[in-house]
Amino acid sequence: MRGGRKLEKLLIQCITENQDSAYRLAYSYVRNKEDALDIVQDAIHKAFLSMEKLKQTGSLKSWFFRIIVTTSLDLIRKQKKVRVMDDENLEFILPGSHDHYPNLDLAQSLEDLPDKYRVVIILRFFEDMKMDEIAEVLHENVSTVKTRLYQGLQRLRVNLSEEDQEEAQR
Amino acid sequence: MHDKLNRMKEQYESTPIPDELSSVVNKAIAARRTKNRALPWLAGVAAACALLFAGVNASPAFAKAMSDVPVLGEIVKVMTIREYAEQDGSTEVHIETPGIANLGNPELEQTLNNKYLEENKKLYEDFKDEVAQINHKGGGHLSLDSGYEVVTDNEQLLTLSRYVVESAGGSAESRQYDTIDKINHLVITLPSLFKDDSYIQVISDNIKEQMRRQMQDNPEITYWVEQPGVQSDIPEDLFQSIAKDHNFYIDKHGKLVISFNEYDVAPGYMGVVEFTIPTEAIADQLVSNEYIR
Repeated sequence: MRGGRKLEKLLIQCITENQDSAYRLAYSYVRNKEDALDIVQDAIHKAFLSMEKLKQTGSLKSWFFRIIVTTSLDLIRKQKKVRVMDDENLEFILPGSHDHYPNLDLAQSLEDLPDKYRVVIILRFFEDMKMDEIAEVLHENVSTVKTRLYQGLQRLRVNLSEEDQEEAQR
Repeated sequence: MHDKLNRMKEQYESTPIPDELSSVVNKAIAARRTKNRALPWLAGVAAACALLFAGVNASPAFAKAMSDVPVLGEIVKVMTIREYAEQDGSTEVHIETPGIANLGNPELEQTLNNKYLEENKKLYEDFKDEVAQINHKGGGHLSLDSGYEVVTDNEQLLTLSRYVVESAGGSAESRQYDTIDKINHLVITLPSLFKDDSYIQVISDNIKEQMRRQMQDNPEITYWVEQPGVQSDIPEDLFQSIAKDHNFYIDKHGKLVISFNEYDVAPGYMGVVEFTIPTEAIADQLVSNEYIR
């Protein structure tokens, strides 16, 4: 059990050190404090429960972030069910309101960007993670991650210089 | 980097971190369920002590010989004989080693004192190893605090409690008790108090009952115990029985107290938990009422 204890210590350390980043990442999905705190709490529980399944295949941080991402997506999925009903009600209450179609190709800010692009940009540029680590977090292969990174940047109308592009490839 | 990205980064990093975050994180860490918290070295030391105590208890001649030593009773002293304290940026260690003096039996006194010294030396060395490993992996916060308390000190009994608190974000506390008969100069073991092994079942049942009652009275309390009509997700983690030589002490009212380390039978937030066993419940099993009343 000595190994288990060591791993547990490292995990506690990893969680403690990355708590702010984990919270910001969760917040980027749900955009409110209560849900973000819930996600962090849930993710920590899940991390300890599935600690034994972790077979040292990658970094502990990527693994913990992965749990944050899946927990965030789960929560959003649950909330979406609720939101659909609300929309129906709203249609009755507010007749004559116009449907609003945002221009999906253009995002003014990060928040407007669909989840799957946004998370890649956050992890790559703001959390300074490497491509293969991001691939680990998202359970995608590296080329998918790269594609999403560029598509995301395009939507944000960010044109990287050639140097920056090389830099981003790492 | 690109200006727009930089602005976005600044914006992202300015996401306000609520004050509650660290307490939410610490609570979630503390509530983790882990099995087998006992430090591996404790098992070895426990085995060594069991041998020693068995020797003292199994030989009436030995006990008799010891009881001839003049009674010094109240003069028995417990004091700190060695203290380790170190602190740097992220690690902290404080270990106080107790020593017993004037017990009236130099041999027993020496054995106990050596045990305390050796255990704490080991504790310190293990801690250093762990710090070295963590530093190797990029550093982190670790602390260890170990000390002792005199729980009971009357004409007849001296109970010394030694605690170890290890923290790394969350913390784990363990306690070990030694109950010494000052008149007969021996260390009391749990089995020596009872006629036969049936005490294990009787005490375990009594503890389970106390756990269920406490949980019923106060919803904040959680023990890992079987409850009628409740299916546990991890049945093998539930409290089944105390060990034959379970950690115990006799309090100043002469009641038997069974102690569990943090995480042994309850989530971390419950801390070290203790159960006072009503003397009526074990009256049939007790050898005599000399110690337990």
